[in-house]
Amino acid sequence: MSTVDVPNVGTFTVNVVTTGSGDPLVFLHGYERHPGEAAFLTELGKSYSVVAPEQPGYGTSEGFENLTDIYDLVLFYRKFIETLGGPVVLVGHSSGGMIAGEIAAFFPHLVKKLVLVDSFGVWIDDQPAPQDPFGAPKDVQAALWADPSAKPDPEPTIFVEDPNDPFGAMFFQAQNLGTATKFLWPIADRGLARRLPYVDAPTLVVNGAKDGVVPVAQAEEIARLVPTAELEIIDGAGHYPMFEQPEQFLTVVKNFLAK
Amino acid sequence: MKFHWFAEATYGDLPKDVSSVSVDIPRDVLDPYTVGQHYKMFTRLMQQADALGWDGLAVNEHHQTAFAMTPSPNLLAATLADTTQNAAILIIGDSLALYNPPIRVAEEMAYIDCVSEGRVIAGFVFGTPPDTAFAYGIPPAEIRDRFHEARQLITRAWTEPEPFAFNGKYNKLRYVNAVPRPIQGRPPIWVPGTGSVETWDLVLQEDYCYGYLSFLGLDNARPIVKGFWDRVDELGAEANPNRMAFTQLICVADSDAEAEAKYAEAVNYFFTMQKGQPHFGTPPGYTSIATQREQLRRAKGVSPEVRAKLARGELSFWDYDDLGFIIAGTPEKVRQRVRDLAVELRVGQLITCMHIGNLPEEVAAENNHLFGTQVAPHLRDVWSEYEDRWTPQVSQQRVAAHAPRADLSPTSA
Repeated sequence: MSTVDVPNVGTFTVNVVTTGSGDPLVFLHGYERHPGEAAFLTELGKSYSVVAPEQPGYGTSEGFENLTDIYDLVLFYRKFIETLGGPVVLVGHSSGGMIAGEIAAFFPHLVKKLVLVDSFGVWIDDQPAPQDPFGAPKDVQAALWADPSAKPDPEPTIFVEDPNDPFGAMFFQAQNLGTATKFLWPIADRGLARRLPYVDAPTLVVNGAKDGVVPVAQAEEIARLVPTAELEIIDGAGHYPMFEQPEQFLTVVKNFLAK
Repeated sequence: MKFHWFAEATYGDLPKDVSSVSVDIPRDVLDPYTVGQHYKMFTRLMQQADALGWDGLAVNEHHQTAFAMTPSPNLLAATLADTTQNAAILIIGDSLALYNPPIRVAEEMAYIDCVSEGRVIAGFVFGTPPDTAFAYGIPPAEIRDRFHEARQLITRAWTEPEPFAFNGKYNKLRYVNAVPRPIQGRPPIWVPGTGSVETWDLVLQEDYCYGYLSFLGLDNARPIVKGFWDRVDELGAEANPNRMAFTQLICVADSDAEAEAKYAEAVNYFFTMQKGQPHFGTPPGYTSIATQREQLRRAKGVSPEVRAKLARGELSFWDYDDLGFIIAGTPEKVRQRVRDLAVELRVGQLITCMHIGNLPEEVAAENNHLFGTQVAPHLRDVWSEYEDRWTPQVSQQRVAAHAPRADLSPTSA
């Protein structure tokens, strides 16, 4: 656990997964859950010191009640990155991408490179996302995976079953998604589009071709708004390209980071 | 005990095969002219109930649903305030998180209190998940926080002697100075809940009336209501039955056979037409994890098997009655069952649902007449020894002076 005091905002105590060694790389997980010590993080750990906090309000991480709006969360991550000795490579997935974009826009001196993977945060009126991420569970599953029948089982997660708590997994999921509603509900737009042009860091935007909650059109819009961005679309992947097409995902990310 | 007249303003002409009646209801299902006629019918029935001695007339708020077509209870309440004389106007209630800014609630409830000459009961509700999270787009993680901020703002707008500035998290107001203000100062406040401990503590701390507004009768309510009274005891509050409200569907007729003939279709309609996608009822973040855990621990009032039968419309009229979802039959029978319910649950405020589903107006009017003249007058003694500071003084006095009494001929009125 790592405790960060943000003056006039509050105290955050968050669960942190670390792996590997090298320059710091911070990974911000997506709206459903922290993936735990997932293979793609271990792989990135071969070149980087990977630091993957479980976001406030998820799992056992505390401090969610301190958040009035997204700026409080950005301030928390400023402090968090400063304690790592920043600047860092910042990789954000899904809702974590939305936060990563904000951090890079507000505090460009803390972000060496930025990777946004199936990132929420922008909305296109004439191309609305086909699936609400909080819709009927079976519709959401169909939208999250290019091939729902081939998704990893179990899905990579930081959650550890407690034999004394038979409903633990259910409440873990309920709490995580409840936290996610703060910035994603009912439409995941808190104004990021106005701020993306202020991102200075070299940026890679990655999106699964079949993502139904963050469609490719939104990734294209993010790539258009960030002056330095390049875009990679991953075929055969939905919202989780790192799990559906891990090799291709790691190849595009590593190539970008090696530049 | 006190009786408050209520009906979900349900559209009575829904196609049997309609896919959904809430949030994503098909647009062509509701005819606006017919909707207007529904509102007029509910107004007439409540005017009749006022003349028959009901203690309160209850109106509620829902959005994007044909099951309860009341986007603003204040509109219906305004009509009642001006066209009834005695009963309290029970607004149960305004979904505070949905008003922006919520001083709108302070103003409109004050208007209704002024016009009704001090008869308003101010109900503050969190709002259902389909209403708040889906129809009105409030992040579930914020609903409770917004509710509490609004509640504090509204109460201050009614009671502070001078204009004030309010710098809330969601509401920034430099000059709060509501016009009009309620005749009652701070009207009685009711807050309904579904059994969460947080809400129990709130109502006891603030001296609000707690409403458990289920339509599933005594058996279902028993564990939750017991939890409430246990909490009252734990916190050392007075176990005054008037601090608790409960809803009950009522079907009175001259005989059991007549009750079945007149109400069976409407009761079935009421319970089977509440169609909607399940996830609209359970958005993440709406219910705290602590409350969800408590709900799992708590004994279940109605079994999953019965709930499934209910949804599929497989219960007979007398199944509904046996389960307590409805109280049906002759005035004598209804009288006894209402008494048993009120005594067992320790409920002083009974919200009687007198129009149900697609019930014809004349049957509802007869229901009103039989209940008002032959049931309620016989139950006035229940809990009468307790002070009631949760209904307005004006309505208490006027109803006491005008309501039918038990010694009147059953057929008068």
